[in-house]
Amino acid sequence: MTWDWSAVTDFLPLLRQGLVVTLEALALGSLISFGLGLVWALLMRTPTRWVRWPVGAVTEFVRDTPLLVQLFFLFYVLPEWGLTLSALTTGVLGIGLHYSTYTMQVYRAGIEAVPAGQWEAATALSLPPGRTWRAVILPQAIRRVVPALGNYVIAMLKDTPMLMVITVLEMLGEARLFSQQHFRFTEPLTVIGVAFILISYLASLLLRALERRLVR
Amino acid sequence: MASPRRIGENRPVPTRRSLLAGVVALGAPAVAGCSRVATASTTKGGDLLDRLRAQGVVRLGIAGEIPFGYIDRNGDLTGEAPELAKAVFKRLGVRRVQPVPTEFGSLIPGLNSQQFDVVAAGMYVNPDRCEQVIFADPDYRMLDSFIVRKGNPKGLHTYQDVVAKKARFATGTGYAEIQYAVEAGYRESDILVVPDQVAGLNAVEAGRADVFAGTALTTREVVKKSRKAEATKGFAPLVGGKPHVDGGAFAFRPAETRLRDAFNVELRKLKRSGELFRILRPFGFTEAEMTELTAKELCGG
Repeated sequence: MTWDWSAVTDFLPLLRQGLVVTLEALALGSLISFGLGLVWALLMRTPTRWVRWPVGAVTEFVRDTPLLVQLFFLFYVLPEWGLTLSALTTGVLGIGLHYSTYTMQVYRAGIEAVPAGQWEAATALSLPPGRTWRAVILPQAIRRVVPALGNYVIAMLKDTPMLMVITVLEMLGEARLFSQQHFRFTEPLTVIGVAFILISYLASLLLRALERRLVR
Repeated sequence: MASPRRIGENRPVPTRRSLLAGVVALGAPAVAGCSRVATASTTKGGDLLDRLRAQGVVRLGIAGEIPFGYIDRNGDLTGEAPELAKAVFKRLGVRRVQPVPTEFGSLIPGLNSQQFDVVAAGMYVNPDRCEQVIFADPDYRMLDSFIVRKGNPKGLHTYQDVVAKKARFATGTGYAEIQYAVEAGYRESDILVVPDQVAGLNAVEAGRADVFAGTALTTREVVKKSRKAEATKGFAPLVGGKPHVDGGAFAFRPAETRLRDAFNVELRKLKRSGELFRILRPFGFTEAEMTELTAKELCGG
């Protein structure tokens, strides 16, 4: 097996395109999963079971089926029912929805870890429920779970190559396209492997900085 | 080969060093395994045919493309190329064929990394591929065709139409059609590359693409099940300004020239006796698609 630097330079423009798509998918996927996960977690705390049960069933279903199958379904089956989304949109929604069912559990843990005294104090001050959540519970809950959420950012990054199967040309997709045209596999795959390490590491540094800020 | 069990010898006191030794011991068979995979023939012309005869089985790389090579409803391997392979290899003294399904784009890499012995996917012979593998003489010739929405609303019949009408173009991973579209002036990065022709049909039906390009036979077969799409009439893509007729053939590893030559001899006999057409006809091939082209002509300069 030989290493050909010219294959690396030929691949770089494609890598840049793929990198942009990967980062887009990661950023939007993270936003959706963090937002939606919080919504699920809050809905699961509503007093009526008419909300809790359907939400519980849906999230459990999503959490217990493979992301890959969900992506195929969203991309190939939904259009038959008249809903056609672009490949990247499908991918971002798929990955965001899937991970929201994980982050939901993270938020739940965070909320349950807020000491009972905080709830009692809020009641004693007769704060309305909305204010209690926004000003007392969530700020404490979310601060606790930032490290756990950071984990999911990195996990999500490493799941973005799955979008390749629904024709999103993220980094792995570009690498494969390049490989199949030029019959060079070692260089593009190594390059994107290194790119994944760098992005994961940078993301973990950023998240650690965020944690430190929040603890202060 | 080092036994993986060796890690157990250090069980009683797993010190850090013994664990490290264990990891190394585990690694050793893996490395040995790597070197074992590379059983490429070293003798001139290759001895693959002798080995296949001894094993009694040849592994065929197929791409799950109807009608070239696919697994049918009963779970049996069939298709133009596998059926032809069965006939030729039987004459060569290899009784059984074993399918290895993969994506079209992975056929050549899979062949060169020894995952199968022959590519039996009706692969077009073109100069790029000739640099990677060697081809038998083509067993059929073929025009290209498009899958478009019913009634062909954009009026797409050639690659030039696709560029002129700014249609969204899709084709399969590793397909020769990528090059034809680029040759006609389509931007390579704008091509929607889908895994196979079924996904291509889906892309056209769902409106993600206006047109999917494939061989005339593939598109004809795949739209049979569709109510929303149709296949255009076959046409010859322009290569270097001249209409180019493609031929599909079996591919072999570059070192295995003896197997390729033996295959060619039997193939030629089948062509002359008309047996080839009898094998191919059930898959939708017509007399017009029989050919006397050679791999050498298609590989070009």
